[in-house]
Amino acid sequence: MQGFHGSGMSVWGFYARNAQEVLGLVGQHLYLVAISTGAAIVIGVPLGILLTRRPAWRGPVLGVANVFQTVPSLALFGFLIPLPFIGGIGATTAIVALVLYALLPIVRNTYEGVAGVDPAVREAGRGMGMTDWQLLTQVELPLGFGVILAGVRVATVVSVGTATIAAAIGAGGLGVYIFRGVAVVDDTLILAGALPAALMALAADGLLGVAERRFAWRGK
Amino acid sequence: MTKPLEVEGLGYQLPGTGKRETGNGRFLVRDVSFTVGAGETLVLLGRSGSGKTTTLKLINRLLEPTSGEVRVAGERAADLAVTRLRRRIGYVIQEVGLFPHFTVERNVGLVPQLEGWPPARIAARVRELLAMVGLDADTFVSRYPHELSGGQRQRVGVARALAADPLLLLLDEPFGALDPITRVELQLEFAALEGRLGKGMVFVTHDVREGLLLGSHIGLMLQGRLVFLGTPDEFRHSDHPECRAFMAAA
Amino acid sequence: MGGRGRWRAVQGGLCALAMVASLAACRSRDRIVVGSKNFTESDLLGEIVAQQIERRTALPVERRFHLGGTFVCHQAITSGQIDLYVEYTGTAYTAVLKHPPVADRDSVYRAVARDYAQRFGLAWGEPFGFSNTFAITVRRRDATRYGLRRISDLARVAPRWKAGFGYEFLERADGFRGLASVYGLRFAAPPTAMDLGLTYRALAEGKVDVIAGNSTDGQIQALDLVVLEDDRHYFPPYEAAPVIRQTALARHPEIAAAFAQLAGRISDAEMRRLNALADVEHRDIAAIARDWLRTSLP
Repeated sequence: MQGFHGSGMSVWGFYARNAQEVLGLVGQHLYLVAISTGAAIVIGVPLGILLTRRPAWRGPVLGVANVFQTVPSLALFGFLIPLPFIGGIGATTAIVALVLYALLPIVRNTYEGVAGVDPAVREAGRGMGMTDWQLLTQVELPLGFGVILAGVRVATVVSVGTATIAAAIGAGGLGVYIFRGVAVVDDTLILAGALPAALMALAADGLLGVAERRFAWRGK
Repeated sequence: MTKPLEVEGLGYQLPGTGKRETGNGRFLVRDVSFTVGAGETLVLLGRSGSGKTTTLKLINRLLEPTSGEVRVAGERAADLAVTRLRRRIGYVIQEVGLFPHFTVERNVGLVPQLEGWPPARIAARVRELLAMVGLDADTFVSRYPHELSGGQRQRVGVARALAADPLLLLLDEPFGALDPITRVELQLEFAALEGRLGKGMVFVTHDVREGLLLGSHIGLMLQGRLVFLGTPDEFRHSDHPECRAFMAAA
Repeated sequence: MGGRGRWRAVQGGLCALAMVASLAACRSRDRIVVGSKNFTESDLLGEIVAQQIERRTALPVERRFHLGGTFVCHQAITSGQIDLYVEYTGTAYTAVLKHPPVADRDSVYRAVARDYAQRFGLAWGEPFGFSNTFAITVRRRDATRYGLRRISDLARVAPRWKAGFGYEFLERADGFRGLASVYGLRFAAPPTAMDLGLTYRALAEGKVDVIAGNSTDGQIQALDLVVLEDDRHYFPPYEAAPVIRQTALARHPEIAAAFAQLAGRISDAEMRRLNALADVEHRDIAAIARDWLRTSLP
């Protein structure tokens, strides 16, 4: 291949020779994505629900989440490093950054999903004597679930990609191969890291997309 | 015997006394009083913006009255917990508002389920109600709202409102969104049902013919006030200009 | 917008395109492009070389600093994207030319000078006078507590320790793998990989227990760290010298005179001092270079 700089070994050969290390890095990558997306859901979904109850908070909260999304990922890692407790080198900082990145899609989609419920349905529910909690759990969340899942899907796919940068601050994951490959101009190494990451993102997108379509509600 | 509904000096004033506030302290409902006995249907008639829907919502506290008192079965509505109050009152709205992800059975059985009825009792009650509103139970229990026509949906809406056997029913232009033929069909069936149920009902409409057909009493509202309260016959022969206007349009 | 407005936009676009094209063509053959690797010392030396050329010749200098690691710079210079950068003899010898390490400074220098000329058409200037070898570094309190003076001593504590390295050190033949095998170092887990610049912080904060820094880094003293002696002479000598494309040198022989003035001018201690000015005191690199040239050269 013209312009391909590498050890000459194909990517498959590389995987065969380094199977254990590859699995380890894939595992680390999944860990970073899973923990951070999980935390973002735990924080973001209640927050999104809260925004439907307190409309005045919507602007500020979504604004802040938007700021975190706009900051370039490496810069966000850099900002977090000096902080005590959540900072420093390693997986903790990476997870904090990934959570902040995942917040906007999850919060916004939760808000949209819940607020998007037909007002007539909400009025009928309230009028018949449902408490706010009953309305939320029996009507708004089930009806909005598809939209919320769409937000989780976006967050997950973004996380898989952003997590590759976490390797720069010692958090491990598939980015390790990419950075090593960049350092020594070895395209085999770069691909060895980039391919599984891309596959992971596609798989997450596909699986969550299927789930999303299952829960989408047509008509009101 | 306590009446299902007693309303005294009911009022709703919008917030805002300053010039820049929306509403400007306007009264949407002012000094409205009426009672509804068992088996009676009060039709709240009026043009758009006359305050009839607002009055309805003040009864089940979807809006909180700023003055006056509402008593349901002798108890002050303001003293009851809001959800307890609402579960004693059937509520039917124009858009119906069936839950799209619930079957007809689950929709109709909503309040009984909230009240913790045993499933067998709910199932039996649902079948009974569907029959009452003219729907074949076997065909419809497992259907979803999007599979129903407009008329069928509103029948389910009425069944839902009646599920826990409330003594008061509030209906806000329930047939307004239906095509003319279906509307007449449901009006006639509803007229027949009213007599059998023996409940107190407040029925909001701007359609004077519907009102005269279904009401045992007519309350005409204009700019938030009740300007006429009486029987349909009295309404037909009233000298009040607003009554005359409505009768002319009938 | 109407037809006239659209034509205006097309005109504007063509103008912009023409300007960009002419700017690109403007890249005259008369400028020298100086590159550097992605750490402070390389930036400093690159700046010193660049300013020296500007002082002593009429050539305009274009800087492309902080490019990446050794291999990125090597690729850049062999493909002509840069004309010169500062390299280290040992790095060229083991990592680029892939020879097994050798201890003698002069033979290493002669070998790289010869091979670079033959294989890559690159010429080596005289070394600046200091050696920047890999510094296997630990915290001072650990060195005292476990009696660590040499890298051999590390083998004792390695099984309980965590190592942290930059990506290049992990990949290079004269990097971690060779070190671990020559010294029998077995760490509990594979080393944590991170951006080289972060390894000092990681060591100081206790996230890792041993790193491979640079022996002339300014942060070693500032963070109270200790460099372990390479008792088995695993690392070759790493003398810093400018490397330049022979074609560029042939076109502008006055550069050789500029280089000659820098030969042997920077001692180990001096390089450490300059690094500390940049890394610890956070002074501007161009200013440091300018001051140094003013005071050290005639």
